[in-house]
Amino acid sequence: MYHVELLPGSTTHATPGWTYVPDRGFDPAKAAITPTIGRKRGIRDPGRTDLSSRQTNAIVRHLAELDRENHRDVHIPVPVRQKEPAAPRGTRTKTTSNVRRILQSQKTFRNYLDDEEAALASASTNQTNTTTTTTTTTANPLNRIAKPASTAKQTGTTTGPSSRASTAQPTPSAAPESTSPSAAAATTTPETGEAAAIAEEESKPNTTTLIRSEHDSNPLLRSYLPTAPSERIMQALLAEPPLTYNASRAGPPLAPRRSPRYFCCMCGYWGKIRCKNCHARTCGLTCYKVHEDSRCGAFF
Amino acid sequence: MGTAKPRPSGSRASVSKAHSFQALPEKTFIVDNGAYTLKAGFAPDYPPPEDEEKALSACATIPNAIVKTRENRIYVGSQLNTHVTDWNEVSFRRPVEKGYIVNWEAQKEVWEQSFFDEKTVRGNDLRITDPEDTTLVLTEAPNGLPALQKNADEIVMEEWGFGGYYRSLGPPLNAWNELNALFGDSVVREADSVVTPRECLLVIDSGYSHTTVTPVYRGQPLQRAVRRLDLGGKHLTNYLKEMVSVRQYNMVDETYIMNEVKEAVCYVSNNFVGDLEQSWKGNRKRGLAESNEGVTVDYVLPDPNAGKKGFMRPHDPLLNAKKRKGALSGTSAEAFSEDALILGNERFTVPEILFTPSDIGMKQAGIPDIVLQSLAVLPTGLHPAFLANVLVVGGNSLLPGFMERLETELRQLASVECVVRVRCSQDPIRSTWLGASRFATNREELKKVAITRQEYQEYGSSWAGRKFAGAL
Repeated sequence: MYHVELLPGSTTHATPGWTYVPDRGFDPAKAAITPTIGRKRGIRDPGRTDLSSRQTNAIVRHLAELDRENHRDVHIPVPVRQKEPAAPRGTRTKTTSNVRRILQSQKTFRNYLDDEEAALASASTNQTNTTTTTTTTTANPLNRIAKPASTAKQTGTTTGPSSRASTAQPTPSAAPESTSPSAAAATTTPETGEAAAIAEEESKPNTTTLIRSEHDSNPLLRSYLPTAPSERIMQALLAEPPLTYNASRAGPPLAPRRSPRYFCCMCGYWGKIRCKNCHARTCGLTCYKVHEDSRCGAFF
Repeated sequence: MGTAKPRPSGSRASVSKAHSFQALPEKTFIVDNGAYTLKAGFAPDYPPPEDEEKALSACATIPNAIVKTRENRIYVGSQLNTHVTDWNEVSFRRPVEKGYIVNWEAQKEVWEQSFFDEKTVRGNDLRITDPEDTTLVLTEAPNGLPALQKNADEIVMEEWGFGGYYRSLGPPLNAWNELNALFGDSVVREADSVVTPRECLLVIDSGYSHTTVTPVYRGQPLQRAVRRLDLGGKHLTNYLKEMVSVRQYNMVDETYIMNEVKEAVCYVSNNFVGDLEQSWKGNRKRGLAESNEGVTVDYVLPDPNAGKKGFMRPHDPLLNAKKRKGALSGTSAEAFSEDALILGNERFTVPEILFTPSDIGMKQAGIPDIVLQSLAVLPTGLHPAFLANVLVVGGNSLLPGFMERLETELRQLASVECVVRVRCSQDPIRSTWLGASRFATNREELKKVAITRQEYQEYGSSWAGRKFAGAL
């Protein structure tokens, strides 16, 4: 069986658009950077995806261009500073090896990120290769966090009708709840809420704040307030470790509302027509002629 | 290790005694180390000044860069404001890459020049005379790489040897600001209570390298919901530069000038389609020049030889004709020697990519969408609280129309029951520093999270990393 392992290295690929990545299925956080198709047929024609790999490469190159500090690669050395009689340094002793190593390092962010990805990838392969008990232990904290959120949602929905029925005929148990309007206000603008109020509402969904209507019995039209999570859930959320750099990258839009917009590559107006050679967009014949005469880069 | 440290005699008891012996130094120096500028200054004593202007007077904004001018001269940090007059073809070297301190060789130079070297430090209130008696609060962008964080800890503690040190995420510190007035809440506060963070706050930090969304609960970030859009002010400047270079003059080497142009002319459109129609060049031919003037402006480029700065002025469609006439008659050639960029739809299509990154083919969502993506992983009960407390910081929020657009789009996306309030700090660039300075006056909270020099020497940098990550 073939086994491709990515060794950690500090090299970067000067060509944007390709890199070795461990394939773990579709990941929305990475969809922004990873080209989805690598087959030859994807180069010219968009196959199953909306963009051909040539277009994807052009976009990646453009984004890399936008990310630059200077247009040209320049080396700016740190100016040499005159040795002074160690006045500000005072009590400090000589530099440690850590400091020397860090100061002399010429690694870029890309290098560090590659190292990080390689370390993460090797850590995850190690984990899957070892016994399954380790994977269950690592999966556990995620479950632990995910569960309270879902249960909180469920209590909000399932206990809704029962508590609503109780508020229809006010019982003594619901009475102290309605006497605290500050807690009721805390659900709508919880910045004024206190921990006690939140904990209280968690234990008992406060439906008395809603305006009653005749639709409350209708399960489709009924409205409810989501309950604020308990202190325990908040502590669990706060105790979570930070996400990795790539995992925190925002994904594609939740609901693609409109089709992508295209702009004229000459004047910036709507790109209504597409050059038959290079697929660049122009707004009309005036711009297209300029494009064809001077800028159309595709000769084939 | 200048001060005589009590040598641990081997037993655990003496170690813990020594541990409790060294307290956090009284003075606190705060560095909000941005990619474009670093915001630095000493924290005030308790109680912090009520007046924001007064509190910010201790904060200096210093360009975080080393530049090389056309004459191959090299300037560092605050020298950029005083020494550089000709900004043509200036190239930059920035220690901060993608929001994180990467190159400490350059960063050390900027810090030395700005805080330590008595000859170059601007004013005495910014100079750190003895790091051993100073606590450093250093901010970083969320989701940093552990290797870079370790580098920062080691340099701070081993190169300068600060007496106390706290490395914090930048956005959560905004929760310590006085925000009740900004959001219009009337909360009665006791006169001499300690400074406390806001309970729920969603911070959108749109800076030079990227834009991050951080939900903050009682001053602490909810890490699972931190999201980042890889677009910031740098990308806007480069995008504008690219557009202008294709359409008008070649400006590819003029990063600084294009940044000035961007700050002068760009705005976020609240009616994108309408503005694009209005700035269409075809309007001119149809004799609709009147409506054209609404969007199109001229930007007169700076002339360093004559000592003139660049400025914006309303578009004059007959300028070229006048120029030609003037050149023919040879009368007022002087007045027409200036070069001007004509900026039409560039003014609003450039900042538009923050809201619609798909315009440049990026497969990421716009800022309002990212807010919802961030909230989607949090319990539903928290959504109303965060949507009602959205704070925007970072330089991009200074673009005209940015706040209105954000509030409108967020209102459309959020569920009907939620109140959406989007506010911008009075000084969005120094807001994080201000929050940090107010946080530093709360000594108890600071003591909980900061480490002392002695602790670092005992336990090392990986311990410090775990402590700052909240794992200890």
